[in-house]
Amino acid sequence: MASNPMQQFTVYRIGPEIKIAGIDLSFTNASLFMVLSTSIILLFLFLGSKEKKIVPGKIQLMAEMFYNFVAKMISETAGSKAKPFFPFIFSLFMFVLFCNMVGMLPYSFTVTSHIIVTLIMALFIFIAVTIIGFVKHGFKYLSIFVPSGVPAVLLPLITIIEIISYLSRPVSLSVRLFANMMAGHTMLKVFGGFVVSLGILGGWLPLSFSVALTGLEILVAFLQAYVFAILTCIYLNDALNLHH
Amino acid sequence: MTMPEDFKTRLKIAKSKIKKKLNDDSENRASFMGNAFKLGTELVAAVAVGTIIGFILDGWFDTKPWLIIIFFFLGAAAGMLNVIRAANRMQKED
Repeated sequence: MASNPMQQFTVYRIGPEIKIAGIDLSFTNASLFMVLSTSIILLFLFLGSKEKKIVPGKIQLMAEMFYNFVAKMISETAGSKAKPFFPFIFSLFMFVLFCNMVGMLPYSFTVTSHIIVTLIMALFIFIAVTIIGFVKHGFKYLSIFVPSGVPAVLLPLITIIEIISYLSRPVSLSVRLFANMMAGHTMLKVFGGFVVSLGILGGWLPLSFSVALTGLEILVAFLQAYVFAILTCIYLNDALNLHH
Repeated sequence: MTMPEDFKTRLKIAKSKIKKKLNDDSENRASFMGNAFKLGTELVAAVAVGTIIGFILDGWFDTKPWLIIIFFFLGAAAGMLNVIRAANRMQKED
């Protein structure tokens, strides 16, 4: 009986230990669940696009819904210039969403509840957006740090504040996803533990709580994937369309 | 390929029904919570980044503890800027 609510987050090795140049590259349970979510996405989209009917079946309808959802999100927040980045944002959204959803299954592992996973994704987005900005606008991209209409006396101060604000993007992006997933899953396990320790007489109240929390967690799982994707679109928009 | 007229009208009715459902209360309440959390992390992240920058610069220039203090406040200002921007974005969405 696992009584420690944090035990669900432990990463352990599956199979042999692989070490290349002093870096541990062993296959862990985290890697297993990443592979699992990716294969579920691939299978789902494969089945969804296998038969191209005018009146779609259930799976095709769901796949098209996801496609439309992301396409609309991109065109609304980042405009038509962001169309080439659709595959990236779509895969990002699907990966985060399915990792969160697979994590909701009992006995599974939530990949996105580890800050290293979310931080790597956020840093990749941050660096990619910065490179895209410099490629599209050259050194004029630096003008996002200098807002227009500011008195010359305040300009150095505002510029430093803008730079800190820019650098805080990957931190807030990654911490938000990680904290939401970890807090939710810890809470679920804590209430689950209450059910066991209070027994058949007092356990009904925490049990009803954990049912409600499970519903909430599924909503949070979707919402956080959506927020992660939409913020990527917003950052992309800042890099593509300079208007300050 | 053209769709039959009857199917088009049925599609329109179904779509408007879905839209009505999406605007329901329960959906909104969840997104409010998401918004609140968004603002919170936005503020905290900038303060943390500012403080870390101050800490690193202090190490470089040997000016402990002045830069960490200055950059803490600059980080707080950047956090407020982030929150204002995020709030403006949310208002635009509605």
